Amino acid sequence: MKFETGKRGLLINILSLIVFTLVWQILVILARNDIFNIPFIRLRDIPTPVETWYALAGSMFTRIYGPSFTYGIINHVYASLVRVIEGGIIAFIIGVPVGIGVGYSKFLGNLFNPIIEIVRNMPPMAWIPLSVFIFVSGGSIFIVFIGVVFPIILNTIQGVKSTDTRLIDAAKTLGASESMIVKKVVIPSALPSIMTGLRIGLGVGWMAIVAAEMVIKSPVGLGYFIWNMGDLGRYSEMVAGMIVIGVIGYIMNISILLLQRRYINWVD
Amino acid sequence: MKNLMKILFLIIIAIFVAGCLESEKTPQVSEPINLVKMSGQEMVQRLGTGEIAGFIMWEPYPAIAVTKGYGKNLIFSGNIWTDHPCCVVAYDDDWYKKTNNSDEILKRMALVQLKSVEYINNAKQSDSPDHEQLINYTMQFGGMTDPVAANLSLADVEFVYNTNVAGTATFIQKIQDFGIFDTKKWNMSGYNNAQDYADSLVTNNYVDWAVNNKDENISRIALEEPVNIRYAYLVNDIHELPFYIGWQKGYYRDLGINIVIAEGAPFQNGAFEMQQGFKGNTVDVGSLGIPPVIIHRINSNDFSNNDTKVGVIAGMNNEGSVIVVANNITSLKDLQGQTVGFPGQGTIQHVLFLMEADKEGLKVSY
Amino acid sequence: MGRLVFSSVSRKFNNFQALLDVNFEVENGEFVCLLGPSGCGKTTILRLAAGLVAPDEGIISLDGKKIDGVNKECGFVFQEYALFPWRTVKENIEFGPQVKGMTKTECESISKHYIDLVGLNGFENHYPNELSGGMKQRVGIARAYANNPKLLLMDEPFGALDAQTRNLMQGELLRIWETEHISVLFVTHSVDEAVYLGDRVIVMSARPGKVKDIFDVKLTRPRIRTGPEANIIRDSVLKSLSTQIKLASHEYI
Repeated sequence: MKFETGKRGLLINILSLIVFTLVWQILVILARNDIFNIPFIRLRDIPTPVETWYALAGSMFTRIYGPSFTYGIINHVYASLVRVIEGGIIAFIIGVPVGIGVGYSKFLGNLFNPIIEIVRNMPPMAWIPLSVFIFVSGGSIFIVFIGVVFPIILNTIQGVKSTDTRLIDAAKTLGASESMIVKKVVIPSALPSIMTGLRIGLGVGWMAIVAAEMVIKSPVGLGYFIWNMGDLGRYSEMVAGMIVIGVIGYIMNISILLLQRRYINWVD
Repeated sequence: MKNLMKILFLIIIAIFVAGCLESEKTPQVSEPINLVKMSGQEMVQRLGTGEIAGFIMWEPYPAIAVTKGYGKNLIFSGNIWTDHPCCVVAYDDDWYKKTNNSDEILKRMALVQLKSVEYINNAKQSDSPDHEQLINYTMQFGGMTDPVAANLSLADVEFVYNTNVAGTATFIQKIQDFGIFDTKKWNMSGYNNAQDYADSLVTNNYVDWAVNNKDENISRIALEEPVNIRYAYLVNDIHELPFYIGWQKGYYRDLGINIVIAEGAPFQNGAFEMQQGFKGNTVDVGSLGIPPVIIHRINSNDFSNNDTKVGVIAGMNNEGSVIVVANNITSLKDLQGQTVGFPGQGTIQHVLFLMEADKEGLKVSY
Repeated sequence: MGRLVFSSVSRKFNNFQALLDVNFEVENGEFVCLLGPSGCGKTTILRLAAGLVAPDEGIISLDGKKIDGVNKECGFVFQEYALFPWRTVKENIEFGPQVKGMTKTECESISKHYIDLVGLNGFENHYPNELSGGMKQRVGIARAYANNPKLLLMDEPFGALDAQTRNLMQGELLRIWETEHISVLFVTHSVDEAVYLGDRVIVMSARPGKVKDIFDVKLTRPRIRTGPEANIIRDSVLKSLSTQIKLASHEYI
């Protein structure tokens, strides 16, 4: 992923956002006034960017109406993020050793590859119905785990396999034992791949959590929030929630990229 | 660009900190009851496994849970609010406008409603010759296998055909108080108050006609040209038994109305029926709880030139929902900090639960 | 010490006879250059000496001890440097001492010594991607030396450098080697380099790889690259080599 660094690049970025928002506003207004409509799409039901903005501001914090306690978007973001991070940590702890084992040892590779190859092709969403009844709680964390663990495993395997054999030879002639080679050569050399796996995995996990929260019962979470707002017909809050999901996903992605660049700065 | 990234990083941390502070703050106000949306089947199942402490749902799910011994009835909705309106028969305004004899059709639909309700209220008596037949219909429609549960589920439902306008106005007021309406939309709607809105929602002419013509010879008042009506209803909802009776016993057919089950029906809850059915123009007439009608006509309306209207022509039932709890729970207070199933935001059960919690001074979170 | 002996060594890879009956020795403290057409098994000889591969037949020994498994008494310098990119200059040099379980202070004194020796002062904390090719190979040499080897195996170490840097590095290598005198087996494809550096030059023939000729270079250091004695030796080496190259390339025509 490359960023355009100059002022021009930034200008184009901002311009594209503005044009997108304008087109959105205009299309909805036209549809609402029966001037133009895309067939089979109820464009008039889509909130305008302005409505969405007010909805976002209005539902950011917890509000209390009589007996009801409506959690703010911040609570929902927090709940979802915590689930993604928990699932991500578990996936990291399990995925990295499995990836290293499978990537480094031919025996472990042959042993686990068929399982990994089959299970990784089941999308996290396909696990939702199962996790609904096998987990008393934490089903959505499990869905995140499924989403994160395979990108980590696959990228770790790839990272381990692409370790420069000359580096392993060098380590051998310098007197390193097999376990030292894994620890001091294979793992560091696979680290950029592992981080890439984590980044891709968290992206998948973030999508999975929103889907999981729509089905798996919990009072907070962004998926739950947008689903409920849909039930109430409060589509502007719903769209605001969707935008928050997108923005948080984007921030997560570039935060890890940033960490990767800052701490793995030895890559050519 | 590096600075931009730093800013984004700060934002994520800020959200985290704010989230921590917010969730720290929440329980101190009071330990809320967590309402969580689920289907009726899930409620019964999860109450059985102890994952939820209770649920509020329409019959027959309370009856099923109680018959299975998973829990007990804590509060009947009639005790929260006597004779509260519940399910109603509503029509889609688009359909109404483009069908030239829509008034005549709706009159006859109200008549079917009246006849079905009278049949049920008669057959409900255990000594009635129709009793066994009614129980069979109830089990079929409610997805039950146990006649005991079927009998139990009928006990607390009050089947009616009149629409309770005063009750509707009260509901509108409550929905407003509980912050369920989008305030901006409510202001745009142009209704002065709850009564105003209730009056515009409900039309009693059809039921009046039905009452006047209920003893007429069917063949004299049947429509000359049979019409197809795309009808929607809620899944396994005993409140809507009058519809099923009218359909199964041929009351609609006799009056020249051909019931076609609408695309997507039966729906999981009234919100779905409003969103997908009425808004999507796949439903002509349908039965659902009155709050989804009230809420969606305000919240998801854009109030530009064409107002998505849904009109109410007849009632279905009053009361008939129950707060069911695990056997160790004795009052609503015991549910604090626990998870309680409900059919979704903006449903009648949601509003009823909030009313009861309000009475007890409890908080509900969702 | 550091006497490397290859006696009757053969090695096959699948059906390809890489080496057949190879015999030579590197005397204690001697600088031997291996020359030969590509595919003659020069690199295989280094890998055999390092114990990274085992011979099919024959015996390889260092100081009379048969090499079995990885030879931890040799230092290996690779053509593409093979530095650990995630380790700084200092950390790369300390790798050998670290895996041997030396203490932090011991490691540091070793790395300091070799950083001084190869002239990388001020670059201790740079990562390899911040260094030029010549500097990277200085690190490679220092890393090999830091392990206190008896034998230095160098696989075309300056092959990737430009001509100027290459000449400079050859001089540097000799300077370092004269400071810490150990046996060196140096693979190159440059006759010039071989004659400038080596005490002896071994010319190999290809398919299968065999020792063809051995030339003594009895010239005092520092040598003059274009001196008349050097030219005479270079001529004979070239002659020996060119027949080999013709033979080798013949198969491709």
